[in-house]
Amino acid sequence: MTAIIRARGLSRHYGRFKALDSIDLDIPAGRIVGLIGPNGAGKTTALKAILGLSSYRGELSVLGMNPATQRDQLMREVCFIADVAVLPRWARVRQIIDLTERLHPRFSRQRCLQYLAATKIRQDARIKTLSKGMVVQLHLALVMAIEARLLVLDEPTLGLDILFRKRFYSNLLNEYFDEDRSILVTTHQVEEIEHILTDLIFIKEGRLVLNSSMDDVQARYAELMVKPDRVDAARALGPIHERVLFGRHIFLYDRPDLEQVQALGELHRPSIADLFVALMGDAEPGASELESAA
Amino acid sequence: MNTASLNHLWILLRRELWESPIAFKWTPLGISALIILATILVLVLGARFDAEMAFTLDALRLFGDMPFEERRLIVSGLLFASSNFHLQLMILIVLFYLAGSLFDDRRDRSILFWKSLPVSDFTVVMSKLATACLMVPALFFFAILLTHLALLLIGSAYAMMAGINPMTSIWLPASLPQLWSVMILGLLVQALWLLPIYAWLLFCSSWAPRLPILIAIAIPAGLSLAQHSYSLISGFRLPEYNIGAIMLRRLGTGVLPGSVNIDLGGGVENLEFNEELYMSFSTVFGHLLKPEMWVGVLVAAVFLVAAVWFRRRATDQ
Repeated sequence: MTAIIRARGLSRHYGRFKALDSIDLDIPAGRIVGLIGPNGAGKTTALKAILGLSSYRGELSVLGMNPATQRDQLMREVCFIADVAVLPRWARVRQIIDLTERLHPRFSRQRCLQYLAATKIRQDARIKTLSKGMVVQLHLALVMAIEARLLVLDEPTLGLDILFRKRFYSNLLNEYFDEDRSILVTTHQVEEIEHILTDLIFIKEGRLVLNSSMDDVQARYAELMVKPDRVDAARALGPIHERVLFGRHIFLYDRPDLEQVQALGELHRPSIADLFVALMGDAEPGASELESAA
Repeated sequence: MNTASLNHLWILLRRELWESPIAFKWTPLGISALIILATILVLVLGARFDAEMAFTLDALRLFGDMPFEERRLIVSGLLFASSNFHLQLMILIVLFYLAGSLFDDRRDRSILFWKSLPVSDFTVVMSKLATACLMVPALFFFAILLTHLALLLIGSAYAMMAGINPMTSIWLPASLPQLWSVMILGLLVQALWLLPIYAWLLFCSSWAPRLPILIAIAIPAGLSLAQHSYSLISGFRLPEYNIGAIMLRRLGTGVLPGSVNIDLGGGVENLEFNEELYMSFSTVFGHLLKPEMWVGVLVAAVFLVAAVWFRRRATDQ
């Protein structure tokens, strides 16, 4: 499989602040990659570099093109939904569809209208009169009607209610995604995309903290819930994180000896959210101590 | 520019019209309606003072007896004058439009949508320039044309009341083909003449973090004040090359299609009213021979390249 995104030493500095600090990245076709990180970690900076929306240092190739100089060609095969409501507010739905049809060679009006028919969006409505959720639905209908190879989603469901969010991802998964395409998505609502991701990337202070497939993540990390009397034994096995929930101690291990660990309590697969807290939590010094004291 | 870019340009021009229908479509039509209404109002009021319209009809008959050349000067001159309001407001609208054109979508973040389309930044900047130089003048010209026809129809009704032939006394002297074609050419030459100003506004619009119109004014105003103050304290004088004065002069002389060469050096009282002022092909083409015209185009090219450069790097703020 050819790589859809390939980055080597990708960097972006704002003055002395390193928004991206020499990142290496390979995203092949047919993957759904979650790019997860706290605010200001460099997610949006990375996406902007990939989309040709900002300059960068290092090597970056998206579908074999250089995004910084070939954005207009690249956008024939890359679609992009930023956090909600970037569709021009003055436009009517029909005008936006017309524009996209004339400007995008891979856009299918028929498919777009088909998706829209399932919504309450009227074609002569102005974007500014649509609700936040409807604007996202419209944008998604536009994007799903484009034969693209890479879809980039930057906080696509920000501020939407849970019904919308569920429908958004199920549409994406059932009607859009296939093995020739890749989706790169950033979001804070990790638990909602957890089950659709094939790959997981954690980014913190401009560096990749984790970059592996979900299968590897699940094979590598284990979460152990132990009773208070076994806590010291569990600590001795070198967990990477510890927290307390309803009086039970929960430890997270990186590549544990499963037999040894299993003897101490109940073993779970950690959720992405727990993994995130474990790997990123020490951003604030003392946070983990506070948590275990609670 | 290949065919794909031209198609893109065409749909992007329509996009501009969709975005600003009030400024580009309803304003010129509104001015036309205003001029026609005002004309009718004057005629109705006039009819009330002029019993049986005897005075009006008499004047029209006198007019009908004038030599053709004089009638031509009066009718075509009046028609041209009736379009001044359109032409002046058009410049104002174009200036404000250009200052916001590469800024508004950065502010409301819709640039993220526009940049997700496979359209080059060069084409986008060109579409803004073509809107200012071609589309807006075309729409305003259409409104002017409607006004001219409406005024001539009103005139014809009066001519018939006075018993003079509207065709020979009004329509032929109006010399519409010449008046209109000089006006179209004049609008194109005017756009070329104002190109450096337009390009400057686009350039400011492409990078200004806020209030691009104020920045576009403040920079030359500041420079020109600084130069002026320096002249005052140092005795070093280059008043002819004051950037603010140069820009103002260009704007001032470019407001009307025919006004580029009106030389007020001799004072307004020496200005002779003749066809050369507004309806001569040679006057319009004459502007193309001036070196200032092409220096301006060169300056514009530099600002346009810079605007495209900034546009390429622009994202939401």
